[in-house]
Amino acid sequence: MLKVEGLTVRSGDVELVHDVSFDIAPGERVGLIGESGSGKSLTALSLMGLLPEGVTATGRAALDGPDGGGDDLVGVPESRLKRLRGRDVSMVFQEPMTALNPLMRIGAQVAEIMTLHGTPRPQARRRALDLLDRVRLPEPAQIARAYPHQLSGGQRQRVMLAIALANEPRLLICDEPTTALDVTVQKQMLELIAEVAPALLFITHDLAVVASVCERVLVMYGGRVVESGPIREVFTRPRHRYTEGLLAASKLTPRGTRLPTIKGSVPAAGRFPGGCVFRNRCPHATPTCEDVPALTGDGHAHACWHPAD
Amino acid sequence: MTLYLLKRLAVLVASTAVAGVVVFAFMALLPGDPAEIALGVNATPEAVAALREQFGTDRPPVVQFLDWFGGLAQGDFGTSYVTSAPIGPQISDRLGVTAVLVLGGMAVAVAIAVPLGTFAAVHHRNPLGAAISAVSQIGIAIPAFLAGILLVFVFAVKAQALPSGGYVPIADSPGEWLRSLLLPWLSLGLVQGAVLTRYVRSAVLDVMREDYLRTARAKGRGSTGALWRHGLRNASIPVVTVLGLQLATLLIGAVVVERVFVIPGLGDLLLNGVAGRDLLLVQGVVMVLVAAVLLINFVVDVAYHLLDPRLR
Repeated sequence: MLKVEGLTVRSGDVELVHDVSFDIAPGERVGLIGESGSGKSLTALSLMGLLPEGVTATGRAALDGPDGGGDDLVGVPESRLKRLRGRDVSMVFQEPMTALNPLMRIGAQVAEIMTLHGTPRPQARRRALDLLDRVRLPEPAQIARAYPHQLSGGQRQRVMLAIALANEPRLLICDEPTTALDVTVQKQMLELIAEVAPALLFITHDLAVVASVCERVLVMYGGRVVESGPIREVFTRPRHRYTEGLLAASKLTPRGTRLPTIKGSVPAAGRFPGGCVFRNRCPHATPTCEDVPALTGDGHAHACWHPAD
Repeated sequence: MTLYLLKRLAVLVASTAVAGVVVFAFMALLPGDPAEIALGVNATPEAVAALREQFGTDRPPVVQFLDWFGGLAQGDFGTSYVTSAPIGPQISDRLGVTAVLVLGGMAVAVAIAVPLGTFAAVHHRNPLGAAISAVSQIGIAIPAFLAGILLVFVFAVKAQALPSGGYVPIADSPGEWLRSLLLPWLSLGLVQGAVLTRYVRSAVLDVMREDYLRTARAKGRGSTGALWRHGLRNASIPVVTVLGLQLATLLIGAVVVERVFVIPGLGDLLLNGVAGRDLLLVQGVVMVLVAAVLLINFVVDVAYHLLDPRLR
């Protein structure tokens, strides 16, 4: 349904995302994980056509319609993207506290996304109430009249989800939607997303979160997909050394033992080594790693010269 | 909202009363007895005493204040010690002229600053946007009276397109009225407009970085549409603060500009009063100016509450 091929994102001469390819099937929930600075958010923003000024995407990303027609998402003019954004692809952002206009009532902000895509205003207003109910906000009528500052972070994120779902998009993108929320609220939010999402691209750095929501996972590092496959396989039998490190670092360790970490930190954009981008932090790196490893394997793929087994 | 309005109204009344005390006290502290001034140096003590009694300046200051301030509440500003004319009507005649001058100047400033500042913010990365910033910087450095003199030189002396001064009441000829106010409006408005442009620019720039603009674009708005629908009202909140401060500045600027353009406004009346040692007149005009500034602050605060639901 979504087909991304050779997506590359650049800021000037610096390549931030390099040759990323993946598919999402209808109804499939795919996780995109990696540390901060690995290019996850840029990948998502380029699918929305919302890259920051001066950052450009090349490659192909196409959204197949139910009728077989495809809509390109990358390299098309803003006027065409505008029609797809919020109608066919929607996004929920990380920061619910600042993502809503503080001067506008909730109901109007939910209705706006529908009127923008042709729904008559009274109908949009009515449907806004249904949507608020659907994301399990109590007393939708009251919430619709409220201003954002009168809601909690969790409630605001539900509103964002209601907005994203309003036009029944084919693809929902969530960028760290629960990172800013309390743990208790987080769980409810994740269950809700898993329940209502059509097809889902879920970005997070939290492995537990991705395991609870997604069926398949893409691991990104240094702007590349280094491993991909079904959650269960990738998490129980990681092949790429980076994935292995991530998983080791996220495990609960017995008291008194050292927390395993990945040595060093993510380099700044443009400072990744040539060849395998992970080799300067990898305990298994050899001179072979100066060549770029290809992402190989059916189903469970990895790009590593010295994979774990 | 109603409760807030009542509270704020109470503050307005209280601060006006305090301002009244301050204005009265300052005038009372000034050396010189109105009766002595009126009668000149050769007057007999008896005549001065008689006149004092007539003016009421022989009474204790507190009684004088209450009498004066109580009169103000009913629109009675007292009678001039110098000309024996009632002061209230003079002030109300002039107040209208100054109000038109100041509000017109403000309108010019807003008309310049909002589009220009917004444009400069949206195009802050390219030369034209930067040029607008630079020019507005220069504008800030020019005082209103200098702008007035320059405008007179260009439009009245060189081009002879507009009168260099004087005022025609609107009732006499609306066209001439407009022509007589055009240069004064511009000289007040251009400078304030330059100042305001910078504030509008930075307010819009701040708003452009806000997450909710990205949300608006994610809904399917273009960047211009998002800025119009979600950005400008948010940007107007800091701008309104500056606008209030500027109105007060304009009121003071008007005193000078009225001189430059020979416009019979409050500033002109104030300067005449000072020159003629007409203490009660000066006191009345100063009180009106102070009250106007307090009223402007009141309006700004109420505007905040209307604009920003977080304050309600």
